[in-house]
Amino acid sequence: MGNMIKAEFRKILTTKLWWAMMIPAFLVAGGWALGGAALTTEIANDLSREDVIQQFDIPINEVSWSVIALARAMNIASIFPMLFGALGLASELHRRTITTTFLTASTRPGVLTAKAIVYTVWGVIYGLVIAVAVSFGALLGSDSNHLPDGKQWALVLLAGVIMCTLWTLFGLGVGALIGSPVGTIVILLIYALVIGPFGEFVLFSATDGSNLPGFLPNGSANGMTGSTASALLFEQIQALVLNLGGEMVTEDRRETFDQAIRAVAGAPGALSLWLSTLVFLAWTALFFGTGMWRNQTRDIT
Amino acid sequence: MQDGSGRIVVQNLTKNFGQVAAVQNLSFHVEPGSVTGFLGPNGAGKTTTLRMLLGLVRPTAGHSTINGQPFERLGNPGRVVGAVLEAQGFHPTRSALNHLRVYAAAMGLPDQRAHEVIQLVGLAGAAHRAAGGFSLGMKQRLALATALLGDPQVLVLDEPANGLDPEGIAWLRTFLRTFAASGRTVLISSHLLAEVEQTIDQVVIISRGQTVFYGMLDDLRRSQQSRVLVQPADASAFVAALQAAGINGIQPMPDGRVAVTDATIQQIGDVAAKAGVATYGMQEEKVDLEQLFFRLTSGQYTAPGYAAPGYAPPPQHGGYALPAEAYQQQQYQQQQYQQQQYQQQQYQQPPQQAYQQQAYQPPPQDYAQQYQPPVQESSPYQPPAPDPTPAPQQDNTGQGGNA
Ligand SMILES: Nc1ncnc2c1ncn2[C@@H]1O[C@H](COP(=O)(O)OP(=O)(O)OP(=O)(O)O)[C@@H](O)[C@H]1O
Ligand SMILES: [Mg+2]
Repeated sequence: MGNMIKAEFRKILTTKLWWAMMIPAFLVAGGWALGGAALTTEIANDLSREDVIQQFDIPINEVSWSVIALARAMNIASIFPMLFGALGLASELHRRTITTTFLTASTRPGVLTAKAIVYTVWGVIYGLVIAVAVSFGALLGSDSNHLPDGKQWALVLLAGVIMCTLWTLFGLGVGALIGSPVGTIVILLIYALVIGPFGEFVLFSATDGSNLPGFLPNGSANGMTGSTASALLFEQIQALVLNLGGEMVTEDRRETFDQAIRAVAGAPGALSLWLSTLVFLAWTALFFGTGMWRNQTRDIT
Repeated sequence: MQDGSGRIVVQNLTKNFGQVAAVQNLSFHVEPGSVTGFLGPNGAGKTTTLRMLLGLVRPTAGHSTINGQPFERLGNPGRVVGAVLEAQGFHPTRSALNHLRVYAAAMGLPDQRAHEVIQLVGLAGAAHRAAGGFSLGMKQRLALATALLGDPQVLVLDEPANGLDPEGIAWLRTFLRTFAASGRTVLISSHLLAEVEQTIDQVVIISRGQTVFYGMLDDLRRSQQSRVLVQPADASAFVAALQAAGINGIQPMPDGRVAVTDATIQQIGDVAAKAGVATYGMQEEKVDLEQLFFRLTSGQYTAPGYAAPGYAPPPQHGGYALPAEAYQQQQYQQQQYQQQQYQQQQYQQPPQQAYQQQAYQPPPQDYAQQYQPPVQESSPYQPPAPDPTPAPQQDNTGQGGNA
């Protein structure tokens, strides 16, 4: 297995795809974080000047709204590690290097296992690069009073790195299942950019704000970061309110708050952080498993 | 795990791609120390068979082993068998050397090995160029280098001469002979007999997914060099007389004549005279190997009703030499060219029985003696410098690569 892992690393490092995907990942992540942070800062500043808001005891200006931008930017940028993973096996099938890969590997499942390990590492690398990019973007775009504290920041980034890693493996599995790089990329992009987000929104509206969208692949992945952001914001606001002598928020209102923030963070109807992670993990495992099975029986002619 | 024998066994392999019967009930084996040619026209099923042998295509039925194990149980297969299957399997922007380094890593070999094989195939000068920019011949060489990386005991090559220049072909020939001479196994496919004739010892000829000949090339050559066409007054008396004289290469012709393959005109004349059978004509016919190959493989494409000249496969073809049945079986053989019947009959015999009777499996010592290289070289990877003059054999066509 060690040999195959080494070979997989060499395959990646001797071609350009890894940085051809990483550069746009970095730029998109940084750009979205910057724009998103600037926008939330703007809105929060406006709101805090409103008399109506000032009557409540919520110190809008002290809330770390930028976590929403961090979360959303990581979601958006995760399409790049997803595409990178999608080409992991599909391009080997297309380039016909899979023949030699299978001829020099102990077993076919061994090849996919080695790829899973290597692409996990690459998913983490992509996640970290994206995390750095969104951090820069948020720093540049946000007022300092809207920036999260270190622990909140780290939590959102952690959720984002895990999400990027799972997207990489999800792409790898879908690519192994479909086999054609173009087909895989087209299907994944259409899903991740169009069908997923709009479908979730429609489903969310049609089911009166249920959690159904959170059970879908894209919805659960977005939920990983979106729910982290909403949980952090909720705790922060709750603490601020309590500090000012306010009351505990009821479960009902907490639910409403969570769903609102998740929707703003691009994850309408998302489940809680841990459930989202579990659901997306299950989707990834499902596609990876069927991709592996398909690969096992595929004739390489 | 694998037994280190270097033996390839293909047993009753069958593959259907949907409606297409690519390979049908194919059986043969390849012994170490020899080069076996795997011949057949386009679409005969060569590539499919080799890919099944290498675990890339799942057979519909039957199985195959290398060193006594199916491919997927070889452990580190690249160290046992090297394969050249197509000159396409390269990432276009990855350099030749990096390509080799990837697979050296997969087999657990040091990078040094990548440098060695790239030198061996004469690509050292292009080591850092992207494989996508290679010519067909260069890609073929890189594919060969990849196959040799693991210093395998068995080489499987699918039309490796495609795109090679004459020098490359000559080099490949010498290389494969030396490789086999060191006790290793080579299985090489081609759609041109002439292309591999000087390289191979044994030959498996298939057509439409079925075996039409399997045996030593020399036997094919010997048995088919000539035959005598006799027009006897009484065919059955004539055949009986020949059989009584120990001549069994007998075959009836559609026009009533009898073709005799293992006797001279003089011998036949004597036998006929002794038996008192009148003969109205005797005629010797010479057939060269390429013509024979063409007939063996294209016979099945002839339109129904066309009486193909019933060239018999050589006598060692599973049981054909048995005197009592010789005449009758040869009639089956003739049908083959008209009705495609023969294959099933031939190969539905229990495999062991069929193959153990065959005369073309001399004990291993024979191979060793026969193919001992004149000078024992220290490594199979030091083939003599490319030989500009091809071996002095009869037919030298096909020099121009994929002629
Ligand atoms: N993936 C596939 N799907 C459908 N049919 C196939 C496939 N691969 C091969 N075949 C069919 O199987 C038959 C045998 O093909 P194969 O490639 O094994 O022939 P070949 O002897 O290697 O021919 P050539 O000399 O042209 O290389 C052909 O009829 C071919 O069309
Ligand atoms: Mg072929």
